[in-house]
Amino acid sequence: MKENKKYIKILLIVAAAVVLLLLPRIISNSYYQMLINQTMINSIVVMGLNYITGMTGQMNMGTGGIYALGAYGMALLTTKTGASPWLGLLLAVVLGLIIGRGLGYPSLRISGIYLALTTIAFAEVVRLLLTNWVNFTGGAIGVQGIPKFSIFGFTLDTDDKYYYLLLVITVILAVIAKRIISSKWGRVFQSIKDNPDAAEACGVNIAQIKILAFTLAAIYGCIGGALYSCLMGYISSNTFNQDLSINYLIMMMLGGIGSVAGNILGAGLVTILPEMLRVLENYYWLIFSIIMLVFAVFMPYGLVSVPRKVMDLIGRRKRQQ
Amino acid sequence: METVLKVENLTKNFSGLVAVNNLSIEMEKHTIHALIGPNGSGKSTTINLITGFHKTTSGTVKYLGEEIQNRPIYEISRKGISRTFQNLKLFKSLTVLENLMVGGHAKTQQGIIDFIINPFKAKREEKQLKEKAEEILNTLGMYHLRNENIGNIAYGRQKVTELGRALMCDPSLLFLDEPAAGLNPTERAEFVSILLKVFDSGIDLFLIEHNMDVVMNISNKITVINFGTKIAEGSPDEIQHDPQVISAYLGDKYRTNTQAG
Repeated sequence: MKENKKYIKILLIVAAAVVLLLLPRIISNSYYQMLINQTMINSIVVMGLNYITGMTGQMNMGTGGIYALGAYGMALLTTKTGASPWLGLLLAVVLGLIIGRGLGYPSLRISGIYLALTTIAFAEVVRLLLTNWVNFTGGAIGVQGIPKFSIFGFTLDTDDKYYYLLLVITVILAVIAKRIISSKWGRVFQSIKDNPDAAEACGVNIAQIKILAFTLAAIYGCIGGALYSCLMGYISSNTFNQDLSINYLIMMMLGGIGSVAGNILGAGLVTILPEMLRVLENYYWLIFSIIMLVFAVFMPYGLVSVPRKVMDLIGRRKRQQ
Repeated sequence: METVLKVENLTKNFSGLVAVNNLSIEMEKHTIHALIGPNGSGKSTTINLITGFHKTTSGTVKYLGEEIQNRPIYEISRKGISRTFQNLKLFKSLTVLENLMVGGHAKTQQGIIDFIINPFKAKREEKQLKEKAEEILNTLGMYHLRNENIGNIAYGRQKVTELGRALMCDPSLLFLDEPAAGLNPTERAEFVSILLKVFDSGIDLFLIEHNMDVVMNISNKITVINFGTKIAEGSPDEIQHDPQVISAYLGDKYRTNTQAG
């Protein structure tokens, strides 16, 4: 039985890998390809948000600000200095480290709704700065001509090619996230969400752990932003509004808190579903919102909880018979 | 005898209300020390002051000769002082085993960057932590419940889990805030036998308790406080015959016992 399960798991992973590798061949529509690339970038950001809000329980509504700093870091570095996007990616990590510390410190003193407000303020300050510092950031016009990544002289100039780079980065970050979540770090994050007093009585330096969770979230967010810059080739400050931060929260809750698979599912659903609903024209956003609401009410533990629930139901039926 | 814990002239004011007033307690190595007193006499506050949950107004707390008052909670814990709580404070989204493993987190060595680049070491450390938690669960008689979610087990078992979590920090001094409260007589007897086992393994115990059968049977020394002030201290036998303690806390039942005896 256990052996069987292992084989099924390996088979599923191989199947998923084949599908993922051939995806650009299956999808001929370049718009869908762009959406899939966007999904992967969103997955990265949501996996980051999951550390701090999902696992550690510190409400972060400033994801848009983190993402914006990552995106602008990449855009300005590459366009102003002509540096390679790889350096931009490195800058995103450094930015993440700095933001994580800066944003983590308020969380040591405040929590709950007050922390949520502080993080909203952070995102708004970032947005206003980017909009109004016209000389440096280009203001509302934004930054244009962000270069594409290139590997060994081979430029990833189309979305098809960029897809593979995104896939590699997403898989690496997902594996790291999965390992962190199901290790001592994941446990200690959850212990802070459940009972910070008890965690500290166990000798856990909760200040340090909270900052660690914030830093991980900011690094993932900045990497996502930087990759977004290169995907679009053009960014402007009004993309990074409060709606964006809320969207990431919706992705996380919809997919399932505390699960990497859930994060990816949620990111996919919230990125792709509105586009699928575009046939409804004027009503598409209304229908999308209703669908989200239904999900939130009937699946409080997210999409990842569905298979287990179905299994439970089947089990109950069997027992009744 | 070596002094483990020395509390000197400890005072705590909550904006005008004096919760603990000039309290001095000395605890010797290899003892079970009990702190008793009526409700609201400042027992829990005393433990909270020693373990860092409250800031002291004045006075000192020395652990193995080192002043620890007003240090951060986690630092005090890392020095070898562990505690349980009056109202259980468990991690409700984790299993029994995971609750214990959080208790051992501070003892682990690997940092986050090393964790990411060195999965083998991470696995080894995780395995060690898990084995240690399983061993403790085994001695507590809860190994079969290790994968249960903490919310699904009985209250008495949850109390034992909290004790197990405290033991994961390898303490040398363990504070127990009303360990037997809310337990039925069978569970209480079981808990006492576990406590004695813990004590025999070389961990000193400091407990607050209202169940006199527990206190009088297991403790070597008892401190009685009322309104934050120490009113008596001594062996269980001395305390049971102290007229001040009888009138303040134990009640007339003990007076008649004394007269009859």
